[in-house]
Amino acid sequence: MATSATVQRVAVGAPEYRRASAGLWSDAAWRLRHDPTTLLALFVVLLFVVIALGADFLAANFFHRAFSQQDILSSYEKPNTDEAWRWLGTDELGRSQAVRLLYGARVSLFVGGFGALTAVVIGLTAGVTAGYFRGWWDDVVVWLVTTLNSIPRLYLLLIVGVLWRLEPLPFALLLGSLGWLGICNYARGQSIALREREYILAARTVGCSPVRLMVRHLAPNILPLIIVLAMIEIGQLILAESAISFIGFGIQPPTPSWGNMLTNASQYLGKAPYLIVPPGLAVLITVLCLYLIGDGLRDALDPRLRGSVGPRPRAA
Amino acid sequence: MGRFIARRLVQAVPTLFGVLLLTFLLSRLSPSDPVQLMLYGNTEVTSEDREQLRHALGLDQPLPIQFVQWLWQLAHLDFGNSIYYHRPALDLILERIPNSLQISLLALVVTVGIGIPLGVIAALRRGRPEDHAIRIFSVLGHAIPEFWLGLLFVLTFAVQNRWFPIGSMNAVGVDCTLCFDRVWHLVGPVLVISIAGIANLPRILRTEVLEVISQDYVRTARSKGLKENAVVAVHVLRNALIPVVTSFGTILLVFFSGSLIIERVFNWPGLGRLTFEAAVSKDFPVVQGAIIIASVLLILSYILRDIAYAWVDPRIKVR
Repeated sequence: MATSATVQRVAVGAPEYRRASAGLWSDAAWRLRHDPTTLLALFVVLLFVVIALGADFLAANFFHRAFSQQDILSSYEKPNTDEAWRWLGTDELGRSQAVRLLYGARVSLFVGGFGALTAVVIGLTAGVTAGYFRGWWDDVVVWLVTTLNSIPRLYLLLIVGVLWRLEPLPFALLLGSLGWLGICNYARGQSIALREREYILAARTVGCSPVRLMVRHLAPNILPLIIVLAMIEIGQLILAESAISFIGFGIQPPTPSWGNMLTNASQYLGKAPYLIVPPGLAVLITVLCLYLIGDGLRDALDPRLRGSVGPRPRAA
Repeated sequence: MGRFIARRLVQAVPTLFGVLLLTFLLSRLSPSDPVQLMLYGNTEVTSEDREQLRHALGLDQPLPIQFVQWLWQLAHLDFGNSIYYHRPALDLILERIPNSLQISLLALVVTVGIGIPLGVIAALRRGRPEDHAIRIFSVLGHAIPEFWLGLLFVLTFAVQNRWFPIGSMNAVGVDCTLCFDRVWHLVGPVLVISIAGIANLPRILRTEVLEVISQDYVRTARSKGLKENAVVAVHVLRNALIPVVTSFGTILLVFFSGSLIIERVFNWPGLGRLTFEAAVSKDFPVVQGAIIIASVLLILSYILRDIAYAWVDPRIKVR
């Protein structure tokens, strides 16, 4: 029933405005400009990035507090509007939650962004080369992907956390080097399909080297959806970072991250329940916006794929 | 079918080998010395004692030989002794697995029980408010940090209102598996860990149902006068569910990883909490053993998933 109703509406409704195609990227930009949800999500994420980058400036000039500055006299203060630094209340040491949240944003976004970049570089390289060359190299890549998929990621991060003390940069690299599996699978599948196409054969016939073939002809055709997957990956890595920092094996105090702020908050559930809301909400909003951007970009880049690639459940 | 299972089991061997190799390399290539870890906190040890222990453990051998020796030990189910509990690591791990399985299996039931109806509703009411609500719930469910949801649950339902227990498996002085008290303690962890699956399942199922519902045989079923409910239950759902079985792999992976976090939040004495506590006390054999056992369980569930997939859809063959 629903189907026939849709058909009728399209038939009777005003003719849809069609814009002459002007290439993949400019088409995508046009569609994005007409997608308020994605634009809003993009705006929120950019806002977070700006806030994170300007954390030092804001802390010094607006909140007048450093993230580690303690003030025992005003500990356990509920959120209030007296002074800017008290907006989100204070923890057991009287540290400003608002300022710590700013610096947490810096860690989370850096780890998520840089980790996803690592994942894209590894995943795209491994996937395209495996799909193009096939043979033993393909077997190795598939074996690596299956193996890494068979180890619960948090357990693996835990063992690394026991053996090494993780700074944000190595942590991001580590998360990225465990998070490339989905991107690799997609890139590999696409390369296998594309390498049989005529234009690849044509390129090979005129003497195109394998490297050039992969860089100039294969990768650009895969890239659009890789960007979508990367957005989703940033979100998943932010979730993974917060989870592993929450159990105490990720970003270590005194460096605040949204995850280790929640570790702290969970110890004072009875006394200061307001402490657990802002960091968790910050993670939720950031990840939600990244997923929405991913969804919007996917629809913008390739409307035919609507609904096909989406955030999978995170394998935190 | 027997051949299928055999081939699938053989395929798991290189994966298992990879898991073991990675765990081994992580422990040996780390800057922390295993001898140091074993003697952690022990101050009255001379460097000669260290060398002796190093030799006794075979740590002065080349890496490949160490690896083979280690595999040989594992083959005899020797995962080493826990440094903290002074008991075989494997025993500690096996004791905790039933507790974790209670959560995971119940969570699977809850996920399927809630996720499938939601997916069918979303597809049948496409474009209506129900569909949009389910989509919003689904996106939120993907984006919410599990442990934060757990903390919120504890805060609202255990700390501020005393409706549910704060954590652990039984109330103090109660010790039972099949009783109301246990169910009471299970509600929080199971609900929280199910969220990821409940968010994921409707999304996949919706696409599949929409795909199947436009097939000719569904039109035939309708035109022969079958009631809509019967069409959906018999012809649509049964076919739409086939690809959904593959998504169970990801859901199981989430449960396994999630157990580490959820058991910490709800103080549930399962494999996750054991691993966490072992990690805190640098009890390396237990952490290593837990990773191996968790991976083996995961590989086994993948195999079970593939068998189930082949069973519901005979067209599937092992690649």
